[in-house]
Amino acid sequence: MPPGPLGQVLLDCAAKGTSGLLRVTGEPGGVIDLADGGITAISTPGAPDPEAILLRSGRVQEAGWSAAFAAAASDGRMGSELVRRELIGAGELEALLRLALADALFALAAGQVDDCQLEQSAADSLLPLQPAAEPGWLLAEAARRIQVLAALPNPIAHDRDRVASVQGAWTPRVGPGDGRAEILALANGRRSARDIAFVLGRGVYAVTLQLARMCDGGLLVIGSSRAAAARPPGPDPASARASADDAASRGGDDASRGGDDAARPPLPRRRRGSTGQGQGGSRSPAARSPAATEPGSTQPRSTQPRSAQPRSAQPGSAQPGSRQPGSRQPAQRQPEKISVLRILRPGSAANRDPGKQTP
Amino acid sequence: MEDALLAEMRALRDRVIGITDTALASRDGLIIRADTADIHPDTLAALAAASLGLAQRMAVEVGKGTLRAAVTRSSGGYVAVYAVGSGALLVVVADVGLDSVRLDREARATVESLEALLARKPSGRTGTQAGRQAAAG
Repeated sequence: MPPGPLGQVLLDCAAKGTSGLLRVTGEPGGVIDLADGGITAISTPGAPDPEAILLRSGRVQEAGWSAAFAAAASDGRMGSELVRRELIGAGELEALLRLALADALFALAAGQVDDCQLEQSAADSLLPLQPAAEPGWLLAEAARRIQVLAALPNPIAHDRDRVASVQGAWTPRVGPGDGRAEILALANGRRSARDIAFVLGRGVYAVTLQLARMCDGGLLVIGSSRAAAARPPGPDPASARASADDAASRGGDDASRGGDDAARPPLPRRRRGSTGQGQGGSRSPAARSPAATEPGSTQPRSTQPRSAQPRSAQPGSAQPGSRQPGSRQPAQRQPEKISVLRILRPGSAANRDPGKQTP
Repeated sequence: MEDALLAEMRALRDRVIGITDTALASRDGLIIRADTADIHPDTLAALAAASLGLAQRMAVEVGKGTLRAAVTRSSGGYVAVYAVGSGALLVVVADVGLDSVRLDREARATVESLEALLARKPSGRTGTQAGRQAAAG
């Protein structure tokens, strides 16, 4: 497999013994630290860096990491400090850094590369690999991974396809320890392999392979896919206004109000006395509404019958389906509590005659 | 038909790698739309309103210009809060791999679109109603 534009640049840098930062623009894009032609670190949104892998996987505890960071990060000794504090072994750290590099270059190479710019600035990675990895080996490994994923019977796009667990996927064969239980718990139709890798602190390639196998096994399905990265032509503010007008024209009663009502800010307002648990309301957990769930999501939907849902009299505020069982309805509102200011204000009604406090 | 506000928020999540959840709320901290999974949207909205208010006050106090975003960075990710006009705010929750440069670029455009949509939004149409329509459609 011939090297792409990124691979060619890296091979050229290796041949010349270049040091510096190679800034890769595209999707996901990233920054590659080069030292004498070798790769010491890669930072990309497409794959977890060593810090994320160590912390999110629980391999290194946050307290230990923070202590090592405070002691050594400013002068670039983070790796040796982690080893000195026996938070991780030197060999394990080197292996982890090498695997993280392979995963990150896979994410870069499998994505879209628009441009590569070499900057002659000093590398400032927190955990550089020493000695540096050879670009040739990393590129060959990235190409192998891309080929393996492409050859799967049902390929999964590691950065686009969002997976959802299948109802009843939790069987006795799927138990703690095989890694599938964690993935099933995270597969809510909103996360791709890349997202799950970041949550678990694992490599994107490994997670993608496991997701593909679980899809083949009927445990997962692809719920949705990320749209293209480029911003769609609309709606810009002007077209958004036009679409809002269209929505208003389809909105029946809402649209027929027109005039002042249409110009009035539609945002919900917090009312005095409505804050806190069980207060009447203007709370609307829109995420629990069907619109807030992705296709294939496993989020439970409200089973409350609509006829039993009270309506709010305040425009744009409480949602009928948003009330907790047992919460008060507007008609049953408790008397508004007299504020401290009102009580303390000289000459206020509460001060003059507390016995005549009215709702 | 999908709700236009939710569509804008989901488009932002599609465009920027690392975004996990978004929410649109009033400056009072009341939720307008939420595209969240494991986060309680009401709590997120209330906290975002408080943090945006504090950050704006801080920006004025230290004289460092107009606030662009109130960002909370933790070991597992980010929360960024953007003002949407004078009456609303956008909350963006992201994992630690967030492409923050792209977020800065894209969030500004999304905020403008949301502001335009809110400016002409019919007042009686609310989140759950829109959700029902989207589900029915």
